[in-house]
Amino acid sequence: MYDVTRSEPELNQSDAKFAARNVQVFYGDAQAIKDVDVDIRDKTVTSFIGPSGCGKSTFLRCLNRMNDTIDICRVEGEIKLDGRDIYDRSIDPVQLRAKVGMVFQKPNPFPKSIYDNVAYGPKIHGMARKKEDLDRVVEAALRDAGLWEEVKDRLHMPGTGLSGGQQQRLCIARAVATQPEVLLMDEPCSALDPIATGQVEDLIDELRQNYAVVIVTHSMQQAARVSQKTAFFHLGNLVEYGDTDTIFTNPQDRRTESYITGRIG
Amino acid sequence: MTDSTAGRFDWASPEINAHLRKRKRSQFYLKSLGIGAISIAFAMLALLIGSLISTGYPAFTQTHLVVEARIDPELVDSENPRDGNFRQLAEDIVTNRVIRGADTDNTDRLTDILSNRAQFTLRDMVEANPDLIGETVEVKLPVADEYDQLYKGLLDRDTPEQNRRLKDREIAIFDQLVDAGYVSQPLNWALLTNADSRFPEVAGLKGAIIGSAYALLVCFILSFPVGIGAAIYLEEFAPRNRISDLIEININNLAAVPSVVFGLLGLAVFIGWFGMPRSVPFVGGMTLALMTLPTIIIATRAAIKSVPPSIREAALGVGASKQQVVFGHVLPLAMPGILTGTIIGLAQALGETAPLLLIGMNAFITSAPSTPFDSATALPTQIFIWADSPERGFVSRTSAAILVLLTFLITMNAIAIFLRHKFERKW
Repeated sequence: MYDVTRSEPELNQSDAKFAARNVQVFYGDAQAIKDVDVDIRDKTVTSFIGPSGCGKSTFLRCLNRMNDTIDICRVEGEIKLDGRDIYDRSIDPVQLRAKVGMVFQKPNPFPKSIYDNVAYGPKIHGMARKKEDLDRVVEAALRDAGLWEEVKDRLHMPGTGLSGGQQQRLCIARAVATQPEVLLMDEPCSALDPIATGQVEDLIDELRQNYAVVIVTHSMQQAARVSQKTAFFHLGNLVEYGDTDTIFTNPQDRRTESYITGRIG
Repeated sequence: MTDSTAGRFDWASPEINAHLRKRKRSQFYLKSLGIGAISIAFAMLALLIGSLISTGYPAFTQTHLVVEARIDPELVDSENPRDGNFRQLAEDIVTNRVIRGADTDNTDRLTDILSNRAQFTLRDMVEANPDLIGETVEVKLPVADEYDQLYKGLLDRDTPEQNRRLKDREIAIFDQLVDAGYVSQPLNWALLTNADSRFPEVAGLKGAIIGSAYALLVCFILSFPVGIGAAIYLEEFAPRNRISDLIEININNLAAVPSVVFGLLGLAVFIGWFGMPRSVPFVGGMTLALMTLPTIIIATRAAIKSVPPSIREAALGVGASKQQVVFGHVLPLAMPGILTGTIIGLAQALGETAPLLLIGMNAFITSAPSTPFDSATALPTQIFIWADSPERGFVSRTSAAILVLLTFLITMNAIAIFLRHKFERKW
């Protein structure tokens, strides 16, 4: 059982992809994240839930150092990816982000062709030098994202011409094209209709075979549907972390219970 | 019924209706004011263009004497056509056409019908094609300004003779030529193909157009990369602190500095310290670049700011470096805005007069510059020179030159609008 709450920090580091210890995040003087300890397992979908402003997106953005782009943001504590501190001086955030892919709330394909969208990451990291290699990478990524059959005949049409759900899957393809180890998803379905949401959720379940997936969501049903582990954040604290089933059926903390039953948030 | 509505607000009461009418009325007033303002602006524009066209249109044609004439080998040596006596040749061409009456004994008067530069028109023609010597060919020679004015009807024949620049006798002789069909009024291409001259009938804008083009080229080469570089640094890399705030305020201030001040700066620094030559388009372009730079920086920063943050995040999210984000995504998306701002800045520079006056680009130069380092005028300073000239012919030429300048400005702005529409909103 991985039923771990904050008061019970017995974490098994060996099979954790990400191991965060004592993480604090400040925006200027305001503290957004307090003392977060969490282990994210490989080949598992972990969902972060909690009311708006609870810090779940902020914490997600610490995992690929996207917070570095915000001047006033300061991160303290330790976050290890495969045992190496990602905030160490020897780690280049640019390479880290290739290994830890990210999908955003609003589908944000580049205003380029579908092919160029997916090929961009491999190209800038020098992963594929020859045209054939690049073609193979693009096809594999689009297949991973379940988009290949829909777009294989129009790879050179603009990515912005796709429907919202297809655009979001294109963004997932773009993220997996750099062969990351972890995929971070920041409310990936909040701008999509129920059918597109269903497709993306099915896709997340398939991605679990190869990646560690971390998803921030506002929908508790979604967290229950797609994730195996769930972390509940409240006011910058990680209140409870454990198996999704346990969190939703037998929460240990009163705040978790209130949120799940709809009394806060 | 009254009972049930007693506590309710009455939306149909006369007070409410009056209030609604008042709101509608004030909206109507606001709309009328707007239409009025636009109408006044259009009327003023129409007035400006109308007055320019009405004074400028005569300058788009030029009266010429078109006659068959023999290039006399006695006057022009085929070995050395350049030193031929073209003055005599021009004189002969006129005097041979005029039927001498009792009072036409003074032949010097007759040559005054032709422009002082007509002999050089002949010379250039023969020099370009020496085979013409000894042949009879059709020659087309510009007439002098007074006769040009007369033929265009700008010289009033009813003015008392002593107040008129052409005497009755001179008019009678010219009328003879007109009646004989020797005078025509073709389009005045010389306005675009000749350089400046003291004689309005042969003065043209070639030197000014080329001078302006060189100055704008230098201005673009200097201000475009520097402006974009500064904007990228300030927008993407500079830390937000007091120093960057100070720089931002000062760039905005620079955009509001009167252009004559930039002219003084150019005079003191480029000509005074660095000892660069006066009146050259290169220095003019550098001075204009000082003025255009803040405009380009401000426009570029605005364009960079308007690139949606989601595109930046997307690129950062797949591991692009900051430089890759800027050059691969932000700049291409900001380019229409940058180009629009740049062209508008350059159009402003094209019309700028004061800084060019201070660095001496209002000199009298009768040949077009062949490099940016030759003395030249620019279009606005040429207009300034012509507006200042006493000859009657320059009145219409000044307006014509303004129309030429406006044509260039409108073309540049049209290009800016075209680029904006072409590249707009691709994400």
